[in-house]
Amino acid sequence: MKRIALAATAVAAAAALTLAGCSSSERGGSGDSTDAAGFAADSSIGIALPDKTSENWVLAGDLFTDGLEEAGFKADVQYAPASNTVAEQQNQISSMVTNGAKVIVIGAKDGKQLGTQLQQAADAGVKIIAYDRLIENTENVDYYVAFDNFKVGQLQGEALLAGLEERSGHGAPWNVELFSGSPDDANSAVFFNGAMDVLQPKIDDGTLVVASGQTEIAQTATQGWEAENAQSRMDSILTSTYGSQEIDGVLSPNDTLARAIITSVQQAGKDMSKVTVTGQDSEAESVKSIMEGIQYSTINKDTTLLVEQTIKMIQDLQKGEEPEVNDTEQYDNGVKVVPAYLLAPVIVTKENAAEAYANVPSLLEIVESY
Amino acid sequence: MTSATDTPKKSGGFSDIRKMFGGGQSTLRQFGILGSLLVIILIFQIWTGGLTLSPTNLINVVNQYSYILILAIGMVMVIIMGHIDLSVGSVAAFSGIVVAKAMADWNLPWPFAIVLGLVVGALIGAWQGWWVAYVGVPAFIVTLAGMLIFRGANQVVGQSTTVPVPSEFGVIGAGYLPELPIALPFNVLTMLLGLIGVAWIIWNEFRLRGQQKRTGSDMAPVWVSILKVVLLSAVILWAAWLFATGRPGTSFPVSGIILVVLVIVYSFVTNKTVFGRHIYAVGGNRLAASLSGVKDRRVDFFVMMNMSVLASLAGMIFVARSTASGPQDGNGWELDAIAAVFIGGAAVSGGIGTVIGSIIGGLVMAFLNNGLQLIGTGADLVSIIKGLVLLLAVGIDVLSKRSGGASIFGIWSRRRQARLETAVPETPAVEPTAGTNETSIPADNRQP
Repeated sequence: MKRIALAATAVAAAAALTLAGCSSSERGGSGDSTDAAGFAADSSIGIALPDKTSENWVLAGDLFTDGLEEAGFKADVQYAPASNTVAEQQNQISSMVTNGAKVIVIGAKDGKQLGTQLQQAADAGVKIIAYDRLIENTENVDYYVAFDNFKVGQLQGEALLAGLEERSGHGAPWNVELFSGSPDDANSAVFFNGAMDVLQPKIDDGTLVVASGQTEIAQTATQGWEAENAQSRMDSILTSTYGSQEIDGVLSPNDTLARAIITSVQQAGKDMSKVTVTGQDSEAESVKSIMEGIQYSTINKDTTLLVEQTIKMIQDLQKGEEPEVNDTEQYDNGVKVVPAYLLAPVIVTKENAAEAYANVPSLLEIVESY
Repeated sequence: MTSATDTPKKSGGFSDIRKMFGGGQSTLRQFGILGSLLVIILIFQIWTGGLTLSPTNLINVVNQYSYILILAIGMVMVIIMGHIDLSVGSVAAFSGIVVAKAMADWNLPWPFAIVLGLVVGALIGAWQGWWVAYVGVPAFIVTLAGMLIFRGANQVVGQSTTVPVPSEFGVIGAGYLPELPIALPFNVLTMLLGLIGVAWIIWNEFRLRGQQKRTGSDMAPVWVSILKVVLLSAVILWAAWLFATGRPGTSFPVSGIILVVLVIVYSFVTNKTVFGRHIYAVGGNRLAASLSGVKDRRVDFFVMMNMSVLASLAGMIFVARSTASGPQDGNGWELDAIAAVFIGGAAVSGGIGTVIGSIIGGLVMAFLNNGLQLIGTGADLVSIIKGLVLLLAVGIDVLSKRSGGASIFGIWSRRRQARLETAVPETPAVEPTAGTNETSIPADNRQP
């Protein structure tokens, strides 16, 4: 037994030595990676996605696999594991570079902790596209593809105004309350500022009245995006401010918070058919709520479109062309302004739900059941 | 055991090769793990079409796993003592965020920040060591508490956000041996390091033979010594060559140098110093050790403290490599380190284990993970495979210890034998010799 183990080890060592002789030096061969020329049409493309915490990432991964294979590329799609997620995502990105990927698309677990790996990628001439989440504090991110979050906020503001007209049963002024997301999420402020871009003029001219007086982002914040925090804040506002007057609308940054706010309003004995509450994310529960006439609106960010746009950019890079971008100002990652392609989100209400979810079978099914 | 007793008869033949690494049961086990490591590397070298042993990938592996291997060095000492440390990931994360904050908010220069990190680690270690050694709370509980406490503390200090560190700090996690202004197609310092390694191997062998001659102990034949030196030197020089010929600007990573230095220092400490031997003594038999005058509590204290210092170092290396300290840092590291130690041949009951073995165990996991990632295996499958490898490695170890040789047939036949033996005494048990309940009950049961 032991002799076999010894002999096997010796053989393995010898074989490893011989095989390693085949791997040639990587020095001296540098300088052949000129980026303008593009790359082979069947190159490997790395897709590094975070752990499978939401359905959206799983869907994106499948769409990338199919879409890239269809376009003739080799797709190397990897999800970070649930444990030691950041470090493993770093390792996966390094492996993609070693494997000779020409473009790596990254949905970052932590967009600030990838500097070393992206430097490695840049040295190897790999192009980096930040997908959905911006990668910060590095100059080695070439493009950013995402939905326009400022636009999301604007659409929420517009939806709130439209809902007030439609549901309240009376003209201006309307009583509204404002909610924003978690203060540690950079997107929260973007959503809120987008919404205030539409709502602030209306508050100034008296069309809207924030009866609680809480209009600062710090006052409206929902720590950790947690439903219970939004619900308890709504409870206190209803008790303190809406004993004698009616609430007409609430700006909510997403669907989870919207449902918490709705629960609070219903428990206070208000008629939800007269109150407008906005949302975002097209969560199944909220789509049901919208079809039942309770929540007023949500936002659809169609993952299919986002993946399609990313693949289009990869194809442009393959041909050696400059991919199309439509924003070269907004996304400063701390080192440089990252050229971005922003997709327009779509507002969804009961009226356009069937049309908006044409690409999302699971939601379409819900809509059609009403 | 059978083959071990055979060996003296066959001296002078091929079996002398076992003397290459000193012989003995525990070194032989490490030899088996080294063999598995080589087999794993070989398999992936073929599977990935030569990518596994390419310079870039080797440099990646060192960069990616040096911090886990550093944890394994401390962890093997903890495990030899019969303890466990679950807090290393959280301690690493806490030190990381303190260091990052100190540099961001107080503009602390990075060398001082490293010292600060080590001091934080030492303080945490002293705290945990005190609970384990002098209060007597089991290390499992103390470090489980530590895992929660320091994870929370990390998030308090960093407010659950990611804090970037200055780029100069990156040298300990993403730095390389510098290029000398000599026009050679490889990194001179890396090759020099390799040559130093070879010189040390040759010197060591000479010294060993000299010592054996003087004490008149069993000596390996000259050809075995020469083969050993040639083989090891070839491996070292070839590895150095690979590291030295990577992409320009990269060479042997600084984190790798830190690791190598720590391995040498801790191997020496555990093997040759009084403190090191006390670790094995207490871990093997605490009562016997303390009766012979070993201050077992002091050993407990310093081993736990040492672990937290190394955890802090690992945390800082990771932060340097990540260019930022994040709230997720260190999640699950304790498990990787513990797995490395057990794959490396340490015993769950304590008293057994080596620094080198744990490093090889860690490298098994590292190359496995790296290889699977290179061939594009999903994270879910990687996790399953790593789990099975851990179970298999320790399982084989346990079986071979129990039966003195892991032959499946041997185990099977012994089991059969055992069953026959237990079946035979059952009949005499019915005889009236025993009037106790234990024997009479089964006898009654058999009646209907």
